[in-house]
Amino acid sequence: MDFNDLIKQTRGRRSLLQALGAAAVGISFGGLAACSKQGGKTLANGEEAKLNFYNWDTYIGENTLDNFKEATGVDVTMDLFDSNDVLFAKFKAGNPGYDVIVPSNDFVERMSKAGMLLPLDHSLIPNKRNIDPAYINVEYDLQRKFSMPYTWLALGIGYRKSKVSATPDSWKVLFDSPEYAGRIAWLSEAGDMFRLYGKYLGKSVNALTPADIATIERMMIKQKPNVKKFHEDDGQDLLLKGDCDVVLEYNGDIAQAMVEDKDIDFVIPKEGSQLNSDNLCIPKGAPHPKNAHAFINYILDANVDKHITETILYPTPNTAARKLMPDSYQNNPVIFPPAEALAKCEYARFDPELQPLYEEAFTRVRAA
Amino acid sequence: MALFARTPRAPLEYSRTLWMRLWVGVVMLFLYAPLIVLVIFSFNDSKRNVVWRGFTTKYYEKALGNDQLVEALLNSLTIAALATIVSLMLGAIAAVMLWRFRFPLKGAVDGTISLPIIVPEICLGVAFLMFFAAIGWPTDLVWPFNLGAITIAHITFCFPFVTMVVRSRLASFNREQEEAAKDLGASEWQVFRDVLIPHIKPALVAGALLSFTLSLDDFVITYFTSGPDTITFPVKVYSMVRFSVTPEVNAASTLLIIVTVILTFVALKLQGVKAIAETH
Amino acid sequence: MAEQDWKTNKRAFAAVSLPTLLWVILFFLVPMTIVWLYSFGENRGLTEIDISGTLDNYKRATEWLYLTIFGKSFAVAALVTLICLIVGFPVTMAITFASEKWRPWLLLAIMLPFWTNLLIRTYALMMLLGTQGFANKGLGALWDGASWLKTLVGLQPLPTWEPVQLLFNNFAVVFGLVYVHLPFMVLPLYAALDRLDRSLIEASLDLGAGHFRTIMRIVVPLAAPGIVAGVMITLIPALGAYLTPDLMGGTDSQMIANVIERQFKKANDWPFGAALSFLLIYAMFALIAIQSMRKKVPEVH
Repeated sequence: MDFNDLIKQTRGRRSLLQALGAAAVGISFGGLAACSKQGGKTLANGEEAKLNFYNWDTYIGENTLDNFKEATGVDVTMDLFDSNDVLFAKFKAGNPGYDVIVPSNDFVERMSKAGMLLPLDHSLIPNKRNIDPAYINVEYDLQRKFSMPYTWLALGIGYRKSKVSATPDSWKVLFDSPEYAGRIAWLSEAGDMFRLYGKYLGKSVNALTPADIATIERMMIKQKPNVKKFHEDDGQDLLLKGDCDVVLEYNGDIAQAMVEDKDIDFVIPKEGSQLNSDNLCIPKGAPHPKNAHAFINYILDANVDKHITETILYPTPNTAARKLMPDSYQNNPVIFPPAEALAKCEYARFDPELQPLYEEAFTRVRAA
Repeated sequence: MALFARTPRAPLEYSRTLWMRLWVGVVMLFLYAPLIVLVIFSFNDSKRNVVWRGFTTKYYEKALGNDQLVEALLNSLTIAALATIVSLMLGAIAAVMLWRFRFPLKGAVDGTISLPIIVPEICLGVAFLMFFAAIGWPTDLVWPFNLGAITIAHITFCFPFVTMVVRSRLASFNREQEEAAKDLGASEWQVFRDVLIPHIKPALVAGALLSFTLSLDDFVITYFTSGPDTITFPVKVYSMVRFSVTPEVNAASTLLIIVTVILTFVALKLQGVKAIAETH
Repeated sequence: MAEQDWKTNKRAFAAVSLPTLLWVILFFLVPMTIVWLYSFGENRGLTEIDISGTLDNYKRATEWLYLTIFGKSFAVAALVTLICLIVGFPVTMAITFASEKWRPWLLLAIMLPFWTNLLIRTYALMMLLGTQGFANKGLGALWDGASWLKTLVGLQPLPTWEPVQLLFNNFAVVFGLVYVHLPFMVLPLYAALDRLDRSLIEASLDLGAGHFRTIMRIVVPLAAPGIVAGVMITLIPALGAYLTPDLMGGTDSQMIANVIERQFKKANDWPFGAALSFLLIYAMFALIAIQSMRKKVPEVH
């Protein structure tokens, strides 16, 4: 092959790189035009008219952010995270610039203990009065010093009515019985699993001892052959697809699945269960704390929360909003379980001693 | 080996043998079956997209109207393009360095360059998180510079793949060509540009494809290096797992495939389709 | 294939080595050193990590529990790589020897599925493999068809179709991993096979060797660098895969990357996660070092 051919080829290659480069630059400029940042407007409260919101995906009403902008002029950008652990891991290096975050209850405790949260100024959040008093003074955040409740959930058993012999109203069905072998799904969250086993054994979720952990580990290993999968919060999909018939899941998720499939139902076992709650918090180092307070207050407004709840259909702690929702929601026994069932449910406390023990024991269970 | 061709098959025309075609066909079916399911289910009229419930195109409208999704796609494509270009350059010269020269501690350097492939993604993600926090990397830059941290991270784990592929190609290089060029008066740079690069071109193409794929699909490292307002497509999709793997995601993925195919098509046409996959 | 000593051509060497080394040191070694230091540390409080020089993390990482998980992950990754090699080699041959018109399109066709997001592809794969999925429905239809044929002939029909467990077990994990890693095998193989001197193959065929023998004796040794690159590029990411085993695996499909991920996330035990990661890195590093020392490339004239 002579040099002429070589030169022709290299010209060809160069034009490929040029084409790719042009495409990249074209995309960049196109995107630049589309995503131009507004110049900083300053509000009456002295802060820039911006808010960086860090939330779960679609965990907000369809128009909430736009409505907030109309009402206050503040431009909200919502970024997404998919689990509390990654939220915590990311904030370990310092606040990357977020104003409002949505951790679950045990992480509110963890982050407040680690000094990552800003104490809330309740004078800026008058809509607090809309919240059900039962959710104001909670063990994980007394007096709501750092958080405001956004939604709450209860763990229980989701099941397919046509495939079970009787309503599975005891944890035994999931944890100690071969009746539905191969059709069972557990959560892959170590702490939750151990605590619920504790409930099955008649103890409080926060009163387990290392000896209990060892006992439970043995029970788990014994039951594991009957379990099909450890799911990461998509147990309702396993039910819908027909891969499993009894799953450990949150009531809100099962309620959403029930809309699609009438054969699915949910029950909180008679031994009691664990409560969960997602909360609005302001991390330390937030660039726009006043806007953040205004945003939290806005979300707690009855109409705004009603709009949000219509989208996500999770139980809301906001009584004023709940009253505005249709009957099918307010009186849904899955979304709002009966008081006797709830009385036996507790919030999980963050225990720095036990948490690593749970994790290691669960790794052993998974490897067994 | 069966020869069912109509025209007599030359001994090396393997792709015309029946069993070879069957094999490739089965592999293609294997690769594309989930994609076909994906595209079909993008028309599914169901919120959770687990069981088929009816035909609708509303999720395509939703996907196109979803500003955040479009922005995420745009960011992902931009990062992937930039990361691929830099990885190609960096990977190619790293390969040449390792192939051509003997120098002290070469084994250690060789191993170190391969390390980004070995390190578990989450470990690398945490490393970058702490690194950028420690050096005080600014998090409020204007687009596209706010994608800088992510792009740097992507380049770091993409270029070793390019290096590996290019090195394996360089192994078959005939140095006499290089020496001949030098005898004829070419400078080092000309030799590199006109003799070496054409030889490694298939490896460059393969490396570019690999880098682009790796970058486009990365979630963990991107998550840890992204600041506010730098949403990328994988991050958006992964965070949907908790609530809503709606057909909207399928629709967006289908659109992404179409966009990437069109871009590659354009690139190939500009280049001249032949030259990409030419053999010597 | 004599290498040049760097001193004989310092300018060229500087040109290729400085950017590379600068990048690697600044954007890789420095961040990794931070995590490496963590592996010698312990958690102090919830967010602080105290670099106390302790070896406890490494001691814990070498406990039997974790060594078995390492071993199992390696076995799975090796199996996946082997399958990819066996499946991918003929495909690569087909691409390499295809007509020039088809070749880039075939390459593109192999890569295209991999520009779809991994999570979505995995969900689609799960939809195919589930008990109510299309694969099972297809197999069920075949089974029923065979059963019907049997009744036609007057034999007893087959027992009712029980869906095959294609998902949430180790089979699914291997299947999913092969699916994800196939192009990582095809591309390096292609880059190497492409350079093959066709005349050697023709000569071998002329001398009477069959196609298969030619491939095994001539093509494979000449393509060896490509095969090695492909194996490395497939094996190592397969070892580090955590999403596919997580989503598609059953209750006993835990791989080492899942454990490491859990340490950094749920367990909030970065020092231990770092120790596990670095054990994995040391092991793989040793493998690569051995491989690069042994690598001998055949001269092509």
